[in-house]
Amino acid sequence: MSRIKRFFRTYKPFTRAGVQEMVAYRANFICFFIGEIMSAFIMYFVWKAVFLSSGSKTFMGFTMEDMVVYLFISFLTDYLTYSDGAFAVGEEIVEGSIAMRMIRPCSFEMSFLFQEIGNRLISAAMIFAPMVVGVEIYRYAIAGVVRFHPGYFLIYIASMLIAYMISFYFNVCYGFMAFFFKNLWGTSLIKETLVSFLSGGMIPLAFLPSGLAAVLNFLPFASLRYTPIMIYMGMYSPSEIAWRMGLQVFWLVVMFALSKLIWHSAVKHLSVQGG
Amino acid sequence: MENMIIAENLRKEFKKVIKEPGVKGAVKALFKPKKEIVTAVDDISFTVPKGEILGFIGPNGAGKSTVIKMLTGILMPTAGFCRINGKIPQEDRKNYVREIGVVFGQRTQLWWDLALRETYAVLKEIYQVPDEQYKKRMAFLNEVLELDSFITSPVRTLSLGQRMRADIAASLLHSPKVLFLDEPTIGLDVVVKENIRSAIKKINEEEGTTVILTTHDLADIELLCERIVMIDKGRKVFDGAISDLKHNFGDVRTLEFELVNGPDFKLLDYNRRFKLTQDDIHAERDGSMARVRFDTAKVSVENVVSYTLSTVHVKDLNIKDVEIEEIIKKLYRREVSL
Repeated sequence: MSRIKRFFRTYKPFTRAGVQEMVAYRANFICFFIGEIMSAFIMYFVWKAVFLSSGSKTFMGFTMEDMVVYLFISFLTDYLTYSDGAFAVGEEIVEGSIAMRMIRPCSFEMSFLFQEIGNRLISAAMIFAPMVVGVEIYRYAIAGVVRFHPGYFLIYIASMLIAYMISFYFNVCYGFMAFFFKNLWGTSLIKETLVSFLSGGMIPLAFLPSGLAAVLNFLPFASLRYTPIMIYMGMYSPSEIAWRMGLQVFWLVVMFALSKLIWHSAVKHLSVQGG
Repeated sequence: MENMIIAENLRKEFKKVIKEPGVKGAVKALFKPKKEIVTAVDDISFTVPKGEILGFIGPNGAGKSTVIKMLTGILMPTAGFCRINGKIPQEDRKNYVREIGVVFGQRTQLWWDLALRETYAVLKEIYQVPDEQYKKRMAFLNEVLELDSFITSPVRTLSLGQRMRADIAASLLHSPKVLFLDEPTIGLDVVVKENIRSAIKKINEEEGTTVILTTHDLADIELLCERIVMIDKGRKVFDGAISDLKHNFGDVRTLEFELVNGPDFKLLDYNRRFKLTQDDIHAERDGSMARVRFDTAKVSVENVVSYTLSTVHVKDLNIKDVEIEEIIKKLYRREVSL
């Protein structure tokens, strides 16, 4: 018990620092948010055109209403599970300030994690409730009945938290690549686009050819976004939810182990640049 | 006295990718990188007794920072080991760093976006400093480093001098037993340098903190350290007291004087008068100022002065002791070896 208490006492200040950082750059945050929501609306209009031109009420099993919920919940999930880990770790490695983190009596990735949780808490506080309420009002206006399901909603939150942790460790692994490549900027553009596609951020995985969809469903990327969204929308049966979330936990363990492995081998090769 | 820091045969090699010039070279390096092993630190050993301030000097790229990074547990030595405060840094980093303080002059350990006071509050939690001790410590650091005037400002708005003082305070908050200062006075003005030196001195005297200091400012060394370790190209070239360094170099003095009438300088011929070579006594003139360097083993101060005064009219004169800076310059240029 006292170990857990000590653990939180050690890392709580990082969360506090993360919150304060976020507050210091609120304008940045607001602009980023506006940019993201604009792209969600662009996707909305694209899909609307698709539905109008197809002439039928459903497209690959999705109604227009489903599609809108999918788009905006996808946006929300992406926003909340987004991890800066890769960028932060990579940047600190490239410019050498990783040294400053290593002279502290704390675990390297934990200090990142708790600092980022501070950031995420502020974003969640600002957009989570408005987004969910907005989506549900839309659903109510279209369907005329309350579609909100508190059970699925709570499971969605749990699934999203696991997704965040997978995202964090995945990005830390990726960020450690900076130990070997010294610079991550170029490859991170490829990574972002690829992850967005593979996780169903651009198109629901259900729209893809069944063979490809089956493979992508199993890969860790689906756990990042597709799984929580489908849970929110009530697309999964209870047994399917259990299996999907089990898969999420599996990928979390894999990513965690992988990050430890890379860290231990990277530390031996560490060459702090500059100075 | 017990040794706080023991470094034995430390060695660090880096792999470096060799790039040929031009676009062709860059493309080639991308697909078939040619690697070369660079030895940044080559077999360095030294010890530092508890409570000593050790000056660690050497030209740019000599490997000073690499040694500091190995001692602080950031880098893994390729060979050899170090033991500080009874611990091997690379074995148990988290516990080891609890008892050391580190300042890298060219980087900051403060949170860029936080008010300075908040940074200290964060550090207090990380190092788990009890409230009572924290209060006392802040009062002490405030006194020696004068943080009061900018403690509520965000770190990004601090001037370099303020930031450096704040960084040093941050490294001392948890009362470390060993303090590593990597160029703590880099880029600072004379007044701030003076402040920082006296703070280091005070902390060393009052708390017996062992300090390793790297610097390019030799005044730091002369004012703070009794002993220096000098490295060049990754190897140790000198380890001993500053007085030994001066002694080994020879007791050279410089007589500086201002002539009433500049051209009178040609009346002085020290080499002929004392029958010495240019190496032992050497005079030069710059306008009305003249400078004579001489070895006191060959000719006494008294003789040089009285000959000067009896030959020309002098407005003002002073005699300067050998400066460590000069010795080090010569060492860097490999004009002398110890």
